Amino acid sequence: MRKTTLLSTALICLAMLSSCGDKPEVPAGDPNTKSSGSVFAMDTYMTVTAYGDDREAGVSAATEEMTRLEKLWSVTDEQSEIYAVNHAGGGSTAVSGETAELLEFALDMHEATGGALDISLYPVLRAWGFTTGEYRVPDEEEIASLLEKTGAEKISLGDNTVTLPEDMEIDLGAVAKGCAGDKAVAALKEQGVECAILDLGGNIQTLGETKPDGTKWKIGIRDPYGEGSAATLETGEGAVITSGGYERYFEQDGKVYKHILDPKTGRPAESGLASATAIGDEGRYCDALSTSLYVLGAEGAEELWRKRGDFDMVLICEDGSFVITEGIEQSFQLTVPAELKVLRK
Amino acid sequence: MTGRKIFILITAGLLAVSAVWCVYLAMRPAGEEIVISQDGKELYRIDLSRTPYRTIEVEYKGRKNVIEIKDGEVRMTHADCPDHICIETGKLRPDTPIVCLPNRLVIEYAGGGLDGTAR
Repeated sequence: MRKTTLLSTALICLAMLSSCGDKPEVPAGDPNTKSSGSVFAMDTYMTVTAYGDDREAGVSAATEEMTRLEKLWSVTDEQSEIYAVNHAGGGSTAVSGETAELLEFALDMHEATGGALDISLYPVLRAWGFTTGEYRVPDEEEIASLLEKTGAEKISLGDNTVTLPEDMEIDLGAVAKGCAGDKAVAALKEQGVECAILDLGGNIQTLGETKPDGTKWKIGIRDPYGEGSAATLETGEGAVITSGGYERYFEQDGKVYKHILDPKTGRPAESGLASATAIGDEGRYCDALSTSLYVLGAEGAEELWRKRGDFDMVLICEDGSFVITEGIEQSFQLTVPAELKVLRK
Repeated sequence: MTGRKIFILITAGLLAVSAVWCVYLAMRPAGEEIVISQDGKELYRIDLSRTPYRTIEVEYKGRKNVIEIKDGEVRMTHADCPDHICIETGKLRPDTPIVCLPNRLVIEYAGGGLDGTAR
């Protein structure tokens, strides 16, 4: 009797110790097992984490897809379709259906946001040095003459052809990552993956309404003023994409210049927002929205949200206060003390 | 006190210790360990709590990066690249990796309580 008790006690203790270990052995076929892969593309570091039996095939399909799309849409790669369009000297260029579709989407968003999203700002961005890291402040005259070479409305799309006025340049930076995320998610699905999360240089996109353990995806929103995240959000399948001035900026003569330009002024947007996050179903839509919301500022963003009603948002204002929309009220949680305003329809 | 009672006490004691151990393992703060990788390949995995000071040199195509770990903080102190964005990133934060794109170098915390951080 005593021996049996002793033995079982020892066994229980052992079992408890081993089950609490850091890296438990997972049996094959466990839906919680995950695989990750990463790739450098579109000027960022991208990671894909997939769950389930088809995870490895899914991760390689997704990373290959992102590398492929970078080759199609890069501004600097001489082999890319965008490079060809930008160097056509005012003539028409034939592009793939995928590129034409993304361009059409970007032009629609240009109109929908009242010009806050503009894919033709590259020459201005370059003058500020945001494309190279050799930062400088261009004078008014230079900006005015560069702005003449911008304006997405001057881009004309035909049947899989693009015509760009000479001296103008297209840069898909504000939509390409989001769209690549959508296509990477499609590639994962095609391999049979039902559950995955992608981090494309800070753009978060998920596949599956929950993780394999049945819990929602827990996504942080970066704190523009401190360490870690300022809030968390529990979401299902979709995209959570943030734009903020902290991503790239420089300081000159005591003034901070941030990398998101207002297409109307050709200067860093000063809309009173520290960051804008768009939450919705589609990566490219949220990518385009986050930039637009940041440029528009709290008032303009609210107006756009009321007009379209098909996304949610988190705005972090420069005074530290938060504005969120009612659709995420239940799943949103502040992790820093701050004033919170919920917009309702 | 009978032998049986002593035995029960010992058993209870053992169970309590293992329970505390479990709680300790489960509650141990995440994000103490950092991973340095290049071109997707893991080069170093470092436990910050056991590394008061260390500098690490990493080479890529003849270019050099220097990473400094000091008092639990990690930063890039030197980089042979034109933009120096990695140095400007400052100290490593739990949610944002330090990335040197030209040299394909990434420093990040291993794990954490979130599935991802939009930034």
